[in-house]
Amino acid sequence: MRVHLPALDHGVMDPASVRYAIRIHGHLGATVLSAFPALVSQHHGADTVLTGLLDRSALYGVLAEVEALGLELVEIRQLTPQRRSPESGDSRSP
Amino acid sequence: MDRAGPRLIGRGDLLATLDRAVAKKVTIISAPAGSGKTSLLRAWADRPGQPHRLAVMQVQRDQQDAQQFWLALLTAVRQACAPTSRAEPPTATPDFNGRAMVDRVLSELADLRGLLILVIDDLHELISPDALAQLTRLLTNLPGDAHAVLATRRDLPLHLQQLRLAGELAEIRAADLRFSERETRELLDASGVALSDAGAALLHQRTEGWAAGLRLAVISLAGHPDPELFVAEFSGSDRTVAEYLIAEMLERQPDDVKDLLLRTSVLDRVNGELADLLTGSQGSERILLALEDANAFVVSLDPERTWFRYHHLFADLLRLELRRALPAEVPGLHRRAADWLIQHGHIADAIRHTQAAGDWPGAARLLADHSFSLTIDGQAQTVRALLRAFPPGAPADNPELALIRAGLNIARGRLDEAAAHLAVAELHAETTPPDRQRRLRVAIASLKLSLATRRGHLASVTEQAKFLDSPVTGQSDEDIALDNDLRAVALMNLGTVEASLALADAERHLREGAVLARENGRPYLEVRCLAQLAFASRVRPFATTRRRCQEAIALAERHGWGLEPWIAPALITLAANLVWTGELGEGERWLQRTERALQTDTGPDIRLLVHIVSGMLQTGRGRRHEALREFSAAEHLGSQLADSHALASQVTGWLLATQARVGLPGEARASLAALDDERAGSGEVGNARAVICLAEGDPAAALATVTDVLGGTAPVIGYVTLVETYLLAGLAHRELGDQRAAHQAAERALGLAEPDRLVLPFVMTGSGELLEALPRHETAHAALLADIRDVIRGSSLAAKDQSSSPPAEELSPTELRVLRYLPTNLSRPEIASELSLSVNTVNTHVRNIYAKLHARDRSSAVQRARELRLLSAGLMR
Repeated sequence: MRVHLPALDHGVMDPASVRYAIRIHGHLGATVLSAFPALVSQHHGADTVLTGLLDRSALYGVLAEVEALGLELVEIRQLTPQRRSPESGDSRSP
Repeated sequence: MDRAGPRLIGRGDLLATLDRAVAKKVTIISAPAGSGKTSLLRAWADRPGQPHRLAVMQVQRDQQDAQQFWLALLTAVRQACAPTSRAEPPTATPDFNGRAMVDRVLSELADLRGLLILVIDDLHELISPDALAQLTRLLTNLPGDAHAVLATRRDLPLHLQQLRLAGELAEIRAADLRFSERETRELLDASGVALSDAGAALLHQRTEGWAAGLRLAVISLAGHPDPELFVAEFSGSDRTVAEYLIAEMLERQPDDVKDLLLRTSVLDRVNGELADLLTGSQGSERILLALEDANAFVVSLDPERTWFRYHHLFADLLRLELRRALPAEVPGLHRRAADWLIQHGHIADAIRHTQAAGDWPGAARLLADHSFSLTIDGQAQTVRALLRAFPPGAPADNPELALIRAGLNIARGRLDEAAAHLAVAELHAETTPPDRQRRLRVAIASLKLSLATRRGHLASVTEQAKFLDSPVTGQSDEDIALDNDLRAVALMNLGTVEASLALADAERHLREGAVLARENGRPYLEVRCLAQLAFASRVRPFATTRRRCQEAIALAERHGWGLEPWIAPALITLAANLVWTGELGEGERWLQRTERALQTDTGPDIRLLVHIVSGMLQTGRGRRHEALREFSAAEHLGSQLADSHALASQVTGWLLATQARVGLPGEARASLAALDDERAGSGEVGNARAVICLAEGDPAAALATVTDVLGGTAPVIGYVTLVETYLLAGLAHRELGDQRAAHQAAERALGLAEPDRLVLPFVMTGSGELLEALPRHETAHAALLADIRDVIRGSSLAAKDQSSSPPAEELSPTELRVLRYLPTNLSRPEIASELSLSVNTVNTHVRNIYAKLHARDRSSAVQRARELRLLSAGLMR
């Protein structure tokens, strides 16, 4: 059973969260949008762009919903550069 | 699956594509939700004249339990193969062995005659890396006549490069599944929708040939007053296809249908009764049947059409709509569903709905009540998934959830974590309501026993678990059943500890546990209790011990558990028994089978027994250096256990005696001096001391030592120790030149050994010459003497009792046919051509034959088959 969990307050005080823009083909109506309570939607032409602060697992949760609802994913973009801690030296691309 | 009015169009091209694909070993249909994968599979499987035999399964939603997946797969394969075997239906066990399961499926597939296609739909729902890895092994080893078709929403980490390189992997992807314009037209015509060609083209363009979109559109278009207008409006809208069309479709449904769809969308499976309950009205079954007939994303799950499920994409959208339209109703719907499910025994589903209703305390209570039963039913992975679904923090102060976590940790060998959770449970037990106190206490005691057993902390815990002896005074029948599960587990754990300590109550507790398990319909628990009972019976007359071993093993085999680690206590006890009586060949075979069963278990408690019996076997064969290595290994493992085990003095005694016999009496002396008083005072170590004295050339000292043992001042494990003692006394008398006393002692040993026909002590002590010197006419034990002489001369005694042979599993008819060719000098390819089979198939059969006969190679398989009389025509079926 897939349970749509209520929105968690992603992003607030969470340094690992990054702002993402997720572009989906078509205009999402209220029903489908209710699957993405943590994201704000805006129509761009024939597409819908969902934006919000997401950490990794929240992002994958969103992608799983996109898959489950049969939506056509056009683009995912990070809007704010990901902060890296200077000690980590992590240079892998995101 | 014949049902009225399928609105699936032929899609002949696609069916032909699939037909071409299944000529390869594996076909993967990988395409997003709503692409028509399931429809294609159904249309292909159900078409008239389908030439292939199909084993069809659908992965349950969000399947995190590898065992549930494999059992469903095995069941599908068996159903397709017709029930040829007399085996019990596959039963889940708490100790799921994925590797063994894949072997089992492969061997069933290898026994097939003719083509079989395994169809697995919704494979993306399988969320278990283990299960996917096991599935990869299955797919890359499919025997000649077996093929597989997998449908999934996304590409999965199945590692099939090998098949791809061999050209044995076919793929059907979203682009292949898309409806062409012509097919769109056909679908409209078949559904009686009158639409212009331009309208049809527009619809095709708007949906991009997406199957779910077209099917949704057709439902709204059928009976629409103005189809052209519908398509024009749809085409002019920017909304996503699925959402637009589902809204349209719901709009057109009568209120009762719409209400039913929304409210029952919370369920994974729905039937009429449950739908009536959630809608508060009557006649839901009729609506569900009508929806399926209209091909409206509702499909029945059984031939009687009582259970239905919604297309996943459809259900997900309905659920969203429900939460938007009737948010206040959602928790109540889940709660009502949970109540119904619990009454009908669907426990895991009921717990999920209770969690979805937000009733965390209620869900915790349900899970606590049922976790034992669920675990026994082999659903530990499900229990783990349910535990994970609790919000962080909530279960921390819940003693019952802490207990479940403890149990799961014990099963995975995380003993320190288990102990921490147990401590939490005990801490909060005081504040638990009185009606739940007793259950909690029984559960805590049971888990402590189980933890103690794994750690070897034995003596300390048995006392506090004594209250398990008192029967439970029952409440409702259901509570009694739950309590019986818990009690059977507790009795098993208690009996197991007692058996390790050789306590008298062990047999009674294990027998009670087995009876309770049988009454409660828990074969897994029954087998485990019986296997431990067999071990606990080692002090009984050998005939009794053997019978109990065989009973436990036979029941295990009926369930396909003949090689599970938990049957090892019975296997090793039988091996030991056979070695004691000089049936060394048989003993060795059972020992090998024990080692195979223990591949995944390295617990010192059971490994220790394997080394002891290996040492006995080597001793019986006169290989004292090898025996010394085994006894040393046993001693080392024993030292890792916190408390000394039942056979500790036996191991130490044999280790020291063997050291002395291989010419290391000095080392034996040193080890002897280091023993604590209790161990040093045992009869077994007394025997060893005598052996050391004899090796040092001091028979008088040896005699003085054995007198203590024979006088009864030194505790012994059993009479078998005394047989050795008499023989050592005889050897000492002989060294001292007292032939008469030597004869008397040897006669006493023979007399003690006669009822069980013990042979090993005579070989071990090197009593050959002592026995040869006995006046033949004076002994009453001529037959036993002959046996002993045979073993000393290096021949193993043939099994006295055919039923003790381990034909682990029965050979299948095909395996028997292949077996008949093994004594010939035909090569495997030649055998294959004789039998019109592929070489691969013959190889698989030969592998299975070796495994089932415990043979290492062709000649030992033939030898074994002769012994079991499998080569004679009389037994051919």
